[in-house]
Order: sequence, then C-alpha cells, then structure tokens
Amino acid sequence: MTSVTTTGAKSPPRILQPRLDNWPAAFILAIIISILAIALLPPKASFWVSLAACALAAASAVYNAWGRYKGGLLVAPAIALLFVMNIFPLLWSLGLSFFSYRANRMKPPAFIGLDNYEKILTDPTVWDRLQTTAIMAILTVAVQMVVGFLLALLFSKQFPLRRYLLILVLTPMMLSYVAIGAFFRYYYEPTFGLLSQFVRMFTGEPFILLATTQGAMAGIVFADAWMWSPFVMLLVLAGLVSVPKYLYEAAAIDRLSGWRQFWNITFPYIRGLLMLALLFRTIEAFKLFDVVFLLTEGGPGTSTETIAIYVYRQAIQFNKTSDSTAISYILLFTVIVLTNLYLYLANRRAREA
Amino acid sequence: MAAGGFFRRSHGVGEAGWGRTIFAAVISFIYFFPVLWIILTAFKTMNDVLAVPPKFLFTPTLENFVGVFSRPFSAGADSQATNFDLYFFNSIFIAGSSVFFALVIGTLAAFGFSRYPLKGNDTYLFIILTTRMLPAIVVIIPIILMFRVVGLAGSYTGIIALYTAFNLPFTIWMMKSFFDELSPDVEDAARLDGSSDTRVFLKICLPQVVAGLAATAVFGLILTWNEYLFALLLSGVETRTVPVAMAQTIGGDIGVRWGLLAAIETLFLIPVILVVFFLQNHLLRGVTFGTIKR
Amino acid sequence: MTVKTMLKGLATASAMAAVMTVAGASLAPANAEEVVLRMAVPDWPPTRIMKDMFDKNYKAPSGKDVKLEIDFIPWPDYYTRLNASLTSGEQKYNMAVSDSQWLGAFIEGGYYRKVNDLIDADPDLKATLADMHPAPLQAYATYPYKSENYYGFPQMPDIYINYYRTDIFCNEEEQANFQAKYNQKLPCTPEEMDNVDWDMYEKFGEFFMRKKGEKLAGQVLDDDFYGIAYQAGKAYDFSTMQINAFIWQYGGNIWDETQAPKGHAEGVVNSPEAVKALDHYLRLTKYMPPVVKTGSMDIFKTDELFREGKVASHIEWIGFAESTINPQTSKVSDKVAFALPPGLRGEDGQIIRWANIGGQPFVIMTWSTDEQIKEITDFVKWWLSPEVQHQYAAQGGQSAIKSVYNDPKYVTYRPWNRTWAPGLDWQKDTWHIPEFFELLVQGQEQYDLAITGKQDAKTTLDNIAAFQEKLLKEAGHIQD
Repeated sequence: MTSVTTTGAKSPPRILQPRLDNWPAAFILAIIISILAIALLPPKASFWVSLAACALAAASAVYNAWGRYKGGLLVAPAIALLFVMNIFPLLWSLGLSFFSYRANRMKPPAFIGLDNYEKILTDPTVWDRLQTTAIMAILTVAVQMVVGFLLALLFSKQFPLRRYLLILVLTPMMLSYVAIGAFFRYYYEPTFGLLSQFVRMFTGEPFILLATTQGAMAGIVFADAWMWSPFVMLLVLAGLVSVPKYLYEAAAIDRLSGWRQFWNITFPYIRGLLMLALLFRTIEAFKLFDVVFLLTEGGPGTSTETIAIYVYRQAIQFNKTSDSTAISYILLFTVIVLTNLYLYLANRRAREA
Repeated sequence: MAAGGFFRRSHGVGEAGWGRTIFAAVISFIYFFPVLWIILTAFKTMNDVLAVPPKFLFTPTLENFVGVFSRPFSAGADSQATNFDLYFFNSIFIAGSSVFFALVIGTLAAFGFSRYPLKGNDTYLFIILTTRMLPAIVVIIPIILMFRVVGLAGSYTGIIALYTAFNLPFTIWMMKSFFDELSPDVEDAARLDGSSDTRVFLKICLPQVVAGLAATAVFGLILTWNEYLFALLLSGVETRTVPVAMAQTIGGDIGVRWGLLAAIETLFLIPVILVVFFLQNHLLRGVTFGTIKR
Repeated sequence: MTVKTMLKGLATASAMAAVMTVAGASLAPANAEEVVLRMAVPDWPPTRIMKDMFDKNYKAPSGKDVKLEIDFIPWPDYYTRLNASLTSGEQKYNMAVSDSQWLGAFIEGGYYRKVNDLIDADPDLKATLADMHPAPLQAYATYPYKSENYYGFPQMPDIYINYYRTDIFCNEEEQANFQAKYNQKLPCTPEEMDNVDWDMYEKFGEFFMRKKGEKLAGQVLDDDFYGIAYQAGKAYDFSTMQINAFIWQYGGNIWDETQAPKGHAEGVVNSPEAVKALDHYLRLTKYMPPVVKTGSMDIFKTDELFREGKVASHIEWIGFAESTINPQTSKVSDKVAFALPPGLRGEDGQIIRWANIGGQPFVIMTWSTDEQIKEITDFVKWWLSPEVQHQYAAQGGQSAIKSVYNDPKYVTYRPWNRTWAPGLDWQKDTWHIPEFFELLVQGQEQYDLAITGKQDAKTTLDNIAAFQEKLLKEAGHIQD
C-alpha cells in the first residue's frame, strides 16, 4: 500500500500573501471572532459571523494543504459534512447531558455535572432495557448472519433465472417500516392473521403469538431478521463472486475437500465483508426501534421494550431532554466498546491470517 | 444434503443448472411471501382484504391505486388530489441526490483513507462510524435548531445534505474495504509511467471497484429510501417523502386502510427494485482484474 | 496533514453550504394584505373538512387575504412531530390541533398561548364560550384542569358510544334464545340499547361468543364470532380511556389534579372501588376476540373487527362512526346502530355513565404576531359560529355548542347524534399536567400486564399508585 505521497508538492507562495496560508493564525483569529460574536451579538448574527470566520480559517488551511496533503484534502469534504450534520449535534447533546433540562419547561438548562449519568447508571429500568436490547440484538444479528450467509451460498453460482429470484429475496429490505409494522401485526394477529389461520388448520384454535414475552420476542426477531438478512446476503455475495476462478481450479487439482476449499480460498475473500455486515447490523440492532414499536410497543408490559424505545419515551414523550441524551451516551459508549473490541479481534485475526 | 456437500457445490463462481433454479425458486418464494401478500392486498377490494380464510384467488381491482393519487377525504365528499405524485417525486429526488453525493464524497474520502493514511487514520474512521451509533431521536433536536437558524428547515437542500451525511459512514467504510483489496502493483506501474494521481484514481482504481460502487449505491438507496424519523421531523409540506405520508393510511377515523397502504407500498417498491435490478449486473459480475492482493 | 488542517477543511465546507443556503432562502417580503396562518393538524376527515370549508367559504372580516396553510400530519406520528417542532424552538406553526392531555406539557414550555385576553376583549366570543357545554370546554381549554385559564377552542369534540349490529340484536331467533336464557329482553332499538348496563353487556359477550360452524342470526358462521369489544391496547391511551370510565363509575377516582397539592395518588388510585372497577373491566375482556390477549386491541383493532363483522358490538369514539356506515369501508354499513355506552347501574336503578372525553381543541402559539392573532381570533369566531358548526356537523363533525346541538336539526345529521347531548353530561377528562405522558405510559404498561393476564387488578393499581405518588411528589403536585 502506498504511504503518504508528497509528489508535486509546491512550496506555498509566501510573498504573494504572507498571511493567507498562515493557518494557525487564522485559526486563532476565527476562535476569537467566534467567541466575541457569541458573547456580543444576537444568536442569529453570531452564527453567521462565526461561520464566516471559520470559513476564512478553513480556506487558509485548504490553501496551505493544497498539493501537499492529499489524504487530508480527499477526506475533508466528507469530514466537513459529517461534522455539520452529525458531529455537531452529537457534541451539542453531549454537552446537554451534563445539564438538567426539559425541553417543555421554561427553566433554562442548569449545569449538574455527572448527576444525569449517576441517576441513569443506578436506574434498574435502564439496565433492564439494555438487557432486553442485548438479547434482541444478539438473536436478530445471529439469525441474520446465518440466514444471509446461507442465502448467499444459494445464489453464489450462476443458474437460470438467478437475477429474478435474487430480486425476490432482496425485496424485504426495501419495504417501509410503516408497511412492515402494519402487515406483520396483521400476520401475527389471531383473528385475521395468516399465521393464526395457518396454525388453525391443524389445531382448530386461533394462535396468539404476541400474548407471551417469548412469543413477542420471536415475532420481533423474525420480522427484523427477515427484513435484514438480505443485507448480509448481498455483502457476502459480493465477496463470493470476487473469488478468482483459477483458485478453485487450482484447488480442484490439489483435491482439496469442500470445507478446506471454503476455509482456505473462499473465506479470506468474504471475511472483510462479513465483518462489515456484522458490524453494521450490530450497530443497527442496538438502535432497534421501529419494528418493536410498531409490533408490540414494548409489550407485554415492558418485556420487549428496547433502549431505543426507552430513549424515545424520555426524549419525546416525557421531554426529559438531558436525561435522554445521557442514556444515549451510555448506549454510545457501550456500542463503542463493543465495536472496538470487535475491530481489535478482527484486525488481530487479519494479521494472523 | 450434507453440509460438506452443500459447501462444495455452493461456493465460488460457477455454473449450476436448473436443479439449483428450482431449489432457489422455492426458497425465494417462501422468503418473498410476506411481500407477495402485500402486493396481492393492493389489488383486493375492501371485501377481500381481511377475508377469513385468506383469499389467494380473487377478482383484482385497481381502485386502490387510483385512491393513492385521488380519493375523497371524508365520506361523501368529492375526490381530492392526495399529493402522492409529489411525494413520490420527493422520495426519488431526495434519495437519488443524496446517494449520488454520498458516493462522490465518500469514494474520495475512502480513497484518501486507503491510499494516503493520515496520522490516526483508524481513529477518524472510527469517529465516522460512531455517528451512526446514537439513536437518531437524540441528535434530531439540535439538527432541527440548526436547520431553522440556517433556513434549511423543510428545504430539499437540508434533507439531502442530511441524508448524504447519513449515508457517508457506510459508503466510506464499504469503499475503503474495496480500495484496500486492490493490488497496488498496477497503480505503481502506472505512476512509474508518469500517470498523475488523478489519472490513476479515475482510470485504474475506479473501474476496478465498480461492483463496490454498485453495492454501496444499492445499500445507500435502500437505507435512504425508507428513512422515517428525519423525514418526519425535517421535511416540510412540500418536501414530504412517501414513507411519512404513507402513515396517513393508519389510524384516525379507521383502523388501517389495507388496500391503500398496500398499493402505496407496491408503487413505492417499483423504483427501488428497478434500480437494484439494473445495478445487479455490476453487483454480481465481480471484479474483472487486479483483485489479487497477495 | 494535521487534525487542525482537517478541521479547517470541514469548516470551509460548512461555510460553503451555509452560503448556498442563504442564496436559497427566500426573503421575499409578504404582500402587506396577505396573512399566512400555519397550522399543524392530524390528517383525518374532521380537519380535512375544516380546510375544505375554509377554502370554499372563508372571507376574513378584516378584508385581508388570509391563507390557512395546513400541514396534515398522519395521526400515528402527530405527537412526535408536533412535540419536536415546538420544543426545538422551530416556531413553525401559529396554530395546532392538540389532544387535551397535551395542554400542560406545552403550556409550561411557553408554546400554547393563553386566550383569556382574546375572550375578554370580544363579547361575541365570550357569548359563544358561555354557550358551550362545560365538560368539553374544561377538557379542551383549561389548564390547570377546570381552572379559569383558557388555552384552546374545540375543533373536533368526541365521546365514545356503543356501536352495535341491528341484524344480530334484532333477530327474532336470537331475541327468543336470549329471553329463554336470561329471562330478559335482548335490546334492539337504540332506546333499548341506551338502557344497557355492564352486567347486560357482559351477557352480550357470553351470549354471542360463538364458534365457527355454530349459528348466528340464522346463518352458519364461517369464523369465530364475539359479542363485545372495547379498547384494551398498550399503545398511547388505548386502555386508560376505558378503564378511567369504570373507575369513575364505581365511585373511585384517578389522581385528581383539581385537588392538588392536597390530593394523593396512594389510597385514591388503588382504592377498593378502583380495584373493583378494574376487575370488572378485566372480567369483560374474556368475552372479547383473542387479540385482546396481546395488548394490541386498540381503538383501531376493535373498529376493524366491528367493520369486518367479527363482533356484535363495540365501544368506540364517534370519530370512527363515519367509516362504519360507509359501504366503501365497512361490511356492516347497513346494519349498524348507535347508543349510549353502557354504564354501571346505581342503587337507584339509574345508570352511571362517567366516561373519558376524547376529541381535540385547537390552540394558538405564543409567537404569533398581533396581526396573526387578530386573524386567528376571527377564524375561531367563524369556526364556532352556528352556521359553520351546523355545516360541519352535517358533514359528520360534532359541536360542543349548546344552541347548535340542541337544535332539532342536529340529530338528523347522523344516526349517532342522538347520543351526543345526553353523553356530554357524563364526560370527565384525564390529567392536563405536564407530566401526563409519564403517568400515562406507566399506567398503560401496568394495565397491559393485567390485560395480558400477567398480574391482578390490585397489584396493578398498587404499582400505579406508588409510581404516581412518587413522581407527583417530586414534581410538586403533591405536597405535605
């Protein structure tokens, strides 16, 4: 892999505008202007003034980096957009999590340090919801990985009508949650539902899936895994089709067994994508909201209420704004630890291989 | 079928005959069944929708599809336009633009991360990923505030920019893993021949990751197409998307308007299925050259 | 490449984006004569009808060109959207249709505007409000509940009533069988049905619960059939509304905010009367369709079961009646009648019918300009004027104004309107305090456990009382 290149590095034209590429100075200036603006001007004006200052400083930095720091320039637009649209709101809510604030009260936010975190970490409800979320995430991701993988194997070879059949399998993840929620509720419903009608042909009694915690959990996991297994399948498939044919030909000459062929040739090609699928599905599973909310609303009782639903209740229904951000950061922390652990293991594996 | 046998016959690119077609057709049909039921429902009259036992054979009707675009909003009133033509346009325009921008910006960034690693490269990549980890509901309030101050509330620009950012983490991670898999030999050779970096990127690297671009586009499209919460809270009357408007068939003066909901969903599936179908070639053709790293 | 450089890069990009926006943001000055009123409403017929009537008939008395820009938001997400819009400080809407329980939550945030000054300044408006039935007025406008502080005007007042199938209840064979079994006449006419108490309603449940293959009204059933249904769902308030009715009818009470800060939750919410009431509520669910065991039998599910002909009777908001008599949406459109909901028969033989009021007021936002407030007031007066209220009722809406609904014409508009005037006298509302959603969610969770058979009535109400006592003390609604 190529390392940092400095090809074509032009020395910055110092004579033309000595201060234009002097980005540290511009940066400091921008901070000072922003602070002054926020302190002195009304919010709307200060926003624009600080934005302009930042823009100027940034222009200077880009000017400085031009031709010298390719990586940085390539990455900058993405980081910029993510900063504005994601990281800024993240920081805003991180800040808020140290305050006591309810969005539907006139009282201005009051700084309370780590009180929110202390309250939440000692709240058994939060632990209960985290547990429910973990169980559900493990179940649904496991099912997705297995089903997705098997489907990918099924479709890895060319066969007649493959393109058309593949589309059929891909369709579930293109559906809207509104439709999925409404229709799965209907599929599970005892009077009209297809599941109950089907079971009734054998037992004669309506089948009430969602009446028990286990049933509700199974219903949720089934719907979610059904929807997202194709996602895993597609990623694995992309890996499978990229295995060069001649490797298999060589393997055939070496008379490798099916399993060995799989582990030695196929697996290295899909490992990266499989990991990516696992990573993204796990992250999404920890945010599991729509399917649960639309199917059971957390019921019976609160036995299927995930942390994402709990956060929704705190943030939107109860307007406990700062509490909800604190819970989210605990959730974020959990997911970061998990993914880091996972990435660490994945990288170690990769190095060993 | 023994697992070993299944693996031997299954993995890798190769030809399989009609036997596999029949097997795959059965599996696909079972998998597709819940969707098929939605599509069937779209063609049913009110009488057939919730019939017990469920009806597989019925006289199809198009009244639900007409109702998507024009129907009376209260009993006995005249039919009114529902604006769903606008919502469909919005969904296509917003999802299309944001996936396009995410691909452009994300591919550049992925190339940067892959070829010109920064100090703390992994940290940046990880931070990018964390933006997808919080429940969206938590970041929505500052975004609404920001949009209001900047005047982006309810505008196409705002929602497209947001969706682009929303798609970026996945695009970057996905494209980086594709760039990482490319062999540096071809690139190095081209550089020695005096090709510029831009040329190497456009003529050598990009063509090799077309499959990756297609896959990423498909995923981005699917995630954006049905995005709900941001669309609900940030779109205005003029920029509302179909998933949000679709909820009008649920609750209010009646339980669920099944036929109407199914018809909207069926129509809403068509564009995204077409896109996926046409990208499928790239998706599954695999990479044709230069994939071997070691 | 350093972090700082990158930060600069992103700052540039954000500035670019901002500049582009400025160019895009339209700063076109509005026509001086044009006043735009933005209003958030749930997407359903009562608001669609209002918009339609406004566009066709409304002429502002000021002579200005008043535009009503309505944002129709689907019901399932309406609260989420309105809440996010208000609490983010977006200040997008001048008016909104609001559930009555939301009043406190949004008034304390400084979003809903007090309208006492508008009422006091306008004798006509004052007269209109004086002519309004106190139950809906207090439910839709007052905060604290039943105080003199007004915040809203009725948009779609609503109560729940008994929907029943005439083809089943009036069937001679069923009539004879019922008489033989219970020695009582099976009610048929709406007047007879008005006189039904919960005991009788339970008998309907028992009597009409039939298996597939059995006969109902002379016909062999192709599916199981059930006698009764009412809301017992986990979502939103889809069991609380009916349970509150039972509790009030038994002489119990929910935590009473008009008694604050003296009134307690502990001992009131879980009083013996309340436990008896909840037990009674739960007892009836065993005669209901099996979906009741899942906690998803909400108002939408009972409506669907009824329209699909799976139950003989259900208790439902008037807001659903229009689609029940519409042959395009209902399989029972030609064989349905409406009566007062059942109640508990008191010692004097009279039926106690306390119920939880439904429906929505519209409210005005605090950031509306004086000019907008002026136009909004005129709009409200127009909306509450007798002609417009009659017109609205003729299209299926309801009116809370006495002179309108006491007009003999009123009962001719829709078959259920006969229940309106007597029904209104029995309405109370649930809490208006800002913490209502916390109370509601916990209550619904506990009721759901009881409905799905996981805990008994006593435990349920004890849990609710303990939770409410603690929360309300912390919030300062219970002192001492």
